[in-house]
Amino acid sequence: MAENTFDAFQKARREEGALDLKVGDETIPLILRFHDVRKAAKNWQTYSSDAPFRVPVPSQEDLRSVRQLPIEVDPPQHKEYRAIVEPFFRRPTDPAYIAKIEALIDQHLDEAIARDSLDVANEFALPLQSKSLTLLLGVPIDHADLFISWGNDVLRVDPASASEELCDAYIEKQLDNAAENPGDDMFSALNAAQYQGRHLTREEKIGFANLVFAGGRDTIINFVTHTLAYLAQNRDAFERLRDEPDLVTSATEEFVRVFSPLTFLGRVCPHGAEIHGHKIAPNDRAGLCWLSANMDETVFKEPEQVKLDRRPNPHVAFGSGTHNCLGAPQARLIMRTLLTKLPQRVSELRILDSVASFEDWKVYRRQNGYKRLDMVFKGH
Amino acid sequence: MAQITFITPSGEEVTVTAQSGSVMQAAVTNMVEGIDGDCGGVCSCATCHVHVDPAWLDKVGAAGDIEKEMLELEDGSSDHSRLSCQIEVSDELDGLVLRVVKN
Ligand code: HEM
Ligand code: FES
Repeated sequence: MAENTFDAFQKARREEGALDLKVGDETIPLILRFHDVRKAAKNWQTYSSDAPFRVPVPSQEDLRSVRQLPIEVDPPQHKEYRAIVEPFFRRPTDPAYIAKIEALIDQHLDEAIARDSLDVANEFALPLQSKSLTLLLGVPIDHADLFISWGNDVLRVDPASASEELCDAYIEKQLDNAAENPGDDMFSALNAAQYQGRHLTREEKIGFANLVFAGGRDTIINFVTHTLAYLAQNRDAFERLRDEPDLVTSATEEFVRVFSPLTFLGRVCPHGAEIHGHKIAPNDRAGLCWLSANMDETVFKEPEQVKLDRRPNPHVAFGSGTHNCLGAPQARLIMRTLLTKLPQRVSELRILDSVASFEDWKVYRRQNGYKRLDMVFKGH
Repeated sequence: MAQITFITPSGEEVTVTAQSGSVMQAAVTNMVEGIDGDCGGVCSCATCHVHVDPAWLDKVGAAGDIEKEMLELEDGSSDHSRLSCQIEVSDELDGLVLRVVKN
């Protein structure tokens, strides 16, 4: 395997601690070291999220019209916003919910084993993610067909993509339906929610729902495809999970660390800032680079080695501090269940063909997942 | 075996009996309010943050380097802070009192 497979930032992190990313006319210094990233994630006064469309890079003014919540807002408002949706995001810790995800994964493994081969990106990860999302949202599972039909590029950076509109249209319709027929779903909860003693505005509700689709889609799909490809390529790791099923939790954390499905996110510096000599002018942006922090050799021993039993493993793949990932329980449940069931049900995983997907920003290039991943799942 | 008492954020005292494993696991098994243990005990989520009763600090011991680094930036952190997933249950800890720090 090539050197620095996972660590696209090694040199810049060691030598400078920051790396200037050029995005159009903008220069965005990425913060690369573990401690610096965590400190900046906590310091919202300097590294602010209170900036609609500007937490993602490139920014998304052209892609959507509402502020995503609770991600594009700072404390103290953030806390009350986040509390509105938090109960939904914690559903994956409920035993009845866990049983449903287990059944879902069994069903997808049945199909994978029955077929000669399948494309794990589009025929396994995408439907699994979409159906899991219906459970989280509390909507009928057949809504997943619609999510799947949006394709694999919903809310991607391509402004020509129609998926964004489709997604917003769905959200609008669900909010209307929920207003007429309130239920146990997230849209009804948004309609009922109070913020600072008033109901949420339509925009705020859309902003919440929009983020659930944006944040939970590619991340999960890349996490699942990357991990399955790794297990096919590293038989010893696959066998080890079979022999030591207790490793499933630490293995899940290790896979999310090395694959860091979200490479970095932006913050706006209202008063300007400086990081290791890289200056950020007032109202310009910096980036918190989760992937690089997760490869910091001063914190993680042999960071490029995948160690299924790595402990401690203080990775920041799900962010750090205030905005840490609300979807983490969902992502963890999916991966833990998959890593438990795969070795029980599958004797061999083999890759037939694949098309990797890359993030290429010139100053760094990394594989973030697969566009296509044709695999064989051989049953016992 | 050890009996461990958690004082939850709502002020309730919950005493659990644990044989082995980490203190976080014992709390999660007994559904102690405020201890979620999201990362399963690898020191990544800090949803197992507790303050150790001063009388018990010596026996429980100090946080490791990585744990310290995690705690340093946590809300509600103090000299008595530990991540309970990093504390192993042992007979020594019978009677331990921990205050759960709200996430
Ligand atoms: C492996 C999968 C995932 C990864 C690696 C990931 C990563 C992240 C990261 C790094 C953040 C921090 C954002 C920041 O600091 O600005 C975040 C926040 C968030 N994620 Fe995830 N995520 C994943 C899955 C999900 C899923 C499945 C959902 C929803 C179903 C989701 C919803 C959210 C939300 C709502 C936030 C904002 C939290 C806040 O602002 O308080 N994520 N995620
Ligand atoms: S359980 Fe996650 S840090 Fe202790």
